[in-house]
Amino acid sequence: MSDEWISTVMEAVPTAMVMVDREGRIARVNSEAERLFGYSPGELRGQILEKLIPFRFRRDHSVHRNSFLAKPEKRRKEVGRDLFGLHRDGTEFPVEVSLNPIETEEGMFTLAVVVDITERIRQERMFRMAVEAAPTALMMVDERGEIILANSETERLFGYSREELVGELVEVLIPLRFREKHVGHRDGFFKNFQTRLTGEGRDLFGLRKDGTEIPVEVGLNYVETQGGMFALAAVVDISRRKQLEENLRQSNKLLAESNDELRQFAYVASHDLQTPLRTVAGFAQCLKEDHEGKLDEETDDYIRRIVKGCERMKTLINDLLTYSRVESRSRPFTEANLNELFDEVVELLGSAIEESQGAVTRGELPTVEGDPTQLLQVLQNLVGNSLKYHGDTPPRVHAKAVKKGADWIISIKDNGIGIAPRQHERIFEVFGRLHTQEAYPGTGIGLAVCRRIILRHGGRIWFDSEEGHGSTFHFTIPEHQILCQNS
Amino acid sequence: MLTTDGTGRLADILLVEDNEDDVMLTRKGFQRAKLKIHLHHVENGEDCMAFLRKKGSFATAPTPDLILLDLNMPVMDGREVLAEMVQDDALNHIPVVILTTSEDERDVLEMYKLRCSAYTTKPVDFNNFLKVVQGIADFWLTLVVLPPQR
Repeated sequence: MSDEWISTVMEAVPTAMVMVDREGRIARVNSEAERLFGYSPGELRGQILEKLIPFRFRRDHSVHRNSFLAKPEKRRKEVGRDLFGLHRDGTEFPVEVSLNPIETEEGMFTLAVVVDITERIRQERMFRMAVEAAPTALMMVDERGEIILANSETERLFGYSREELVGELVEVLIPLRFREKHVGHRDGFFKNFQTRLTGEGRDLFGLRKDGTEIPVEVGLNYVETQGGMFALAAVVDISRRKQLEENLRQSNKLLAESNDELRQFAYVASHDLQTPLRTVAGFAQCLKEDHEGKLDEETDDYIRRIVKGCERMKTLINDLLTYSRVESRSRPFTEANLNELFDEVVELLGSAIEESQGAVTRGELPTVEGDPTQLLQVLQNLVGNSLKYHGDTPPRVHAKAVKKGADWIISIKDNGIGIAPRQHERIFEVFGRLHTQEAYPGTGIGLAVCRRIILRHGGRIWFDSEEGHGSTFHFTIPEHQILCQNS
Repeated sequence: MLTTDGTGRLADILLVEDNEDDVMLTRKGFQRAKLKIHLHHVENGEDCMAFLRKKGSFATAPTPDLILLDLNMPVMDGREVLAEMVQDDALNHIPVVILTTSEDERDVLEMYKLRCSAYTTKPVDFNNFLKVVQGIADFWLTLVVLPPQR
């Protein structure tokens, strides 16, 4: 190789190059090397190489230099060996060096290529700090399955010190019965890099140093470094989450059982309570008819009251049954077209509307996800109330819908007798009534049922009203139901 | 010919009911409605089957033209009676009207599936109860053609 050719090449390369002779003297440098070490052009020629090396390493370096010359072969100084370069101004910087023997006309030379790895070291340090600081257990595993790096959270989670972990196969952290399979998965991962959350749908377990197992979720990623491809595993202890899931499962089970019991209770109540009712009412009436005309007015009245009391009791029992059935007899949610349901209500209340000379109208109502039968009940109840509780003027009832976020607000407005604000809570109570039976008959369970139904649909029900100036009942209902039904 | 005014053959009606008060009220009901019938009574499903099969103390029992069947009874309830009658070729032609307190939809469905002829509920108000009894008698004993006596 000619001198000129070597010079041209060295100048063209953007990396620092230093050519050294057999005695360790710098024969040639490129301008990048001069820039890196902070020397002016020509300053380094003839200088001993160790000038570019921090004092404390010089003696060792000359030894290495000689051994290289004894057996020259292309070599890259191993990663992990801390090599430093010494700048002209006395500062040090980390470097990586590769050595190449070069045969020229003038003899054997060594060409050293020097790379400033300050930036790389800095990035690696930042990476390590991030890994260390992470609140999740993080580990780096190489292609052979050996743990290269483990952060303190890993130490805490598994009960090992990182010194104990580094160099070990990652399978040491996995219960025996899963180890074989894991090796296979590991190989597969390195062959086919894909970021993955492992364990979805499968129960994964980690093995602690003390032999106990922990349920975990593992996220896998791969990291490319100078040293090759590595897997980065994030391990999350999910024992708490599993506990919560179990609690939820238990709660649901208890709830289902409780619903069953309620349904049973309601059935029994309705049945068994009505029989003696019938006895009382029936015989009271028989009494009356057997002694037709022979009884005085007072006795007649007593009997009438007895029978009426029984009738009322039966209605109460039925209403209670309806109330209890809101949850236990509910159907899974489906499409509920409120326009259609409202129109059906108007038809059902036909005679009541006619009798009161009322008018029931609606705006455009939405289609929502819900139980159509129950929503019909709500509408029927609210419109029915509006028709019932009217004053001197014939009732005017109007329904409209407004969208607010993910919910619809349905409002039913009337021009009836109104409700005093302090009665608010009372009217939603089971059997809560504001008026006497004579004035406005009813059991007072309608609104309680409505509230239960609306709650079941994930909404709220309330009203605005002023005594003597009508009422508007509002309820919200989400357009789509998020939770699953478990009835 | 079957009539309810006493001019022809009197209908044999079997009332299967465990509640004594209800039995009395039913009797009164027919009386009140001025319907002349033979009202037979058993307290539970087991006796009902014995009556229908003319077993034991029921050896001389007639085959009823109509059965009024309550659902909830001890020993053997209405559901079991109907299930057994439907299987029995000698008995499955007899009309059975369920007369019970339960309005539970599932009971109604189940009984119709077991091929009961009709399902009615017992009202609390006696006058309404009379209407039910009258209705049953009008329909089953006057309007409808019953299966021939075997």
